[in-house]
Amino acid sequence: MTDAEGNVYVYGVASAAERASLPDAGVAGAGVRIVEHDGLAAIVSDLDSGTLVAAREVRAHWRVIEAAAADATVLPVRFATVLAGDRAVVEQLLEPQADRLTELLRSLAGRVQLAVKGEYDEEALLREIVREAPAVKALRERVRTRPEAAAYYDRIRLGELVSGEIGRRRARDQQMALASFEGHAEASVANEPRSANGAFDLAFLVSRDKVDAFGAPVRALSETLGDRIRLRYLGPLPPYSFVDEQRAQGAPAWA
Amino acid sequence: MAVSTPSSGYIDRPRPSGLADVIEVILDKGLVIDAYVRVSLIGIEILTIDARIVIASVDTYLRFAEAVGRLNLAEADDSQGLPELMESMTSGGAKSKTSGALDAVKEKITGGDDDDGDDDEKKTPSRSRRSSGSSSGSSSSRRRKSS
Repeated sequence: MTDAEGNVYVYGVASAAERASLPDAGVAGAGVRIVEHDGLAAIVSDLDSGTLVAAREVRAHWRVIEAAAADATVLPVRFATVLAGDRAVVEQLLEPQADRLTELLRSLAGRVQLAVKGEYDEEALLREIVREAPAVKALRERVRTRPEAAAYYDRIRLGELVSGEIGRRRARDQQMALASFEGHAEASVANEPRSANGAFDLAFLVSRDKVDAFGAPVRALSETLGDRIRLRYLGPLPPYSFVDEQRAQGAPAWA
Repeated sequence: MAVSTPSSGYIDRPRPSGLADVIEVILDKGLVIDAYVRVSLIGIEILTIDARIVIASVDTYLRFAEAVGRLNLAEADDSQGLPELMESMTSGGAKSKTSGALDAVKEKITGGDDDDGDDDEKKTPSRSRRSSGSSSGSSSSRRRKSS
């Protein structure tokens, strides 16, 4: 083990036996290498600078993870994680968490994450809401027949009602979508959709050799949903949504 | 990034060039290591803009109200039994302006999309504030299935 002087940026952890393939350059243009300890391999870059430009490094980070995860199972480490040298990588990551990392690598071996995201056609969704929610329809009429300024609070109330209706449909559609993949994945996570028109954001853990077969339920769901919800199907990804079970998700590494 | 419909049988891969998708995948997920060195991340708050701030704001309510008000519901009174008409209307209608707010957010997120266009981003202290207390992950639900 070379004991690097400076800081070390950590991308992820793989099994040393798998020999993950590494790209030439990682964050800040630095080379990508492995810090190995007891069968575990941390994928790292030496980091001279104390400042990273987020937009650029998100891409660099992803290139490394994508290359490494092409054939090997990689436990992704949260973006912008930096440790104080190789020794810290061993003493603060590989050694103390050896059991957990080894167990995760074992349970995730040969598996990838597939993402299925649904996005509402906003106009169709709003039509549906006006049609099905009498309160929205009534308030809409009221707002339409009054001057814009006079109806200000009614308009806010109308928007709030619509928001609530969207939330209810989101919950329903997410449950329906999730149920349609029953039996096709080993595990699933429903993330909160990030976009205003997002219907659901699902992550599935699927064995590499079943990735092709997973297209069938995706297509079936797409047909069921028709134009109402457009599906996007992404992957294969490293098992991002399945590595931090014991952790509160959402805390960024840089906070 | 290119968007494909699942019916084509093609799976999208998040690309470094399609920043928004990559951000969604990697930004607040992954293993957390307790002891780490703090680095300054320039422009991170731009990447962490959470569209849900927009969703729960008065501006969004007004936007929804406007969008709902703009709908042409001439046929709505006897909307039972008119699914075909509804369908042709929704597919025929021009993409409404109502997605503007969302697009604006996306633009901001993907703002520094060219590799050298990051200079306009603001400096942040290493301990960056998350723009909202809501972290997408914390509200996610999880379940295991026996395959």
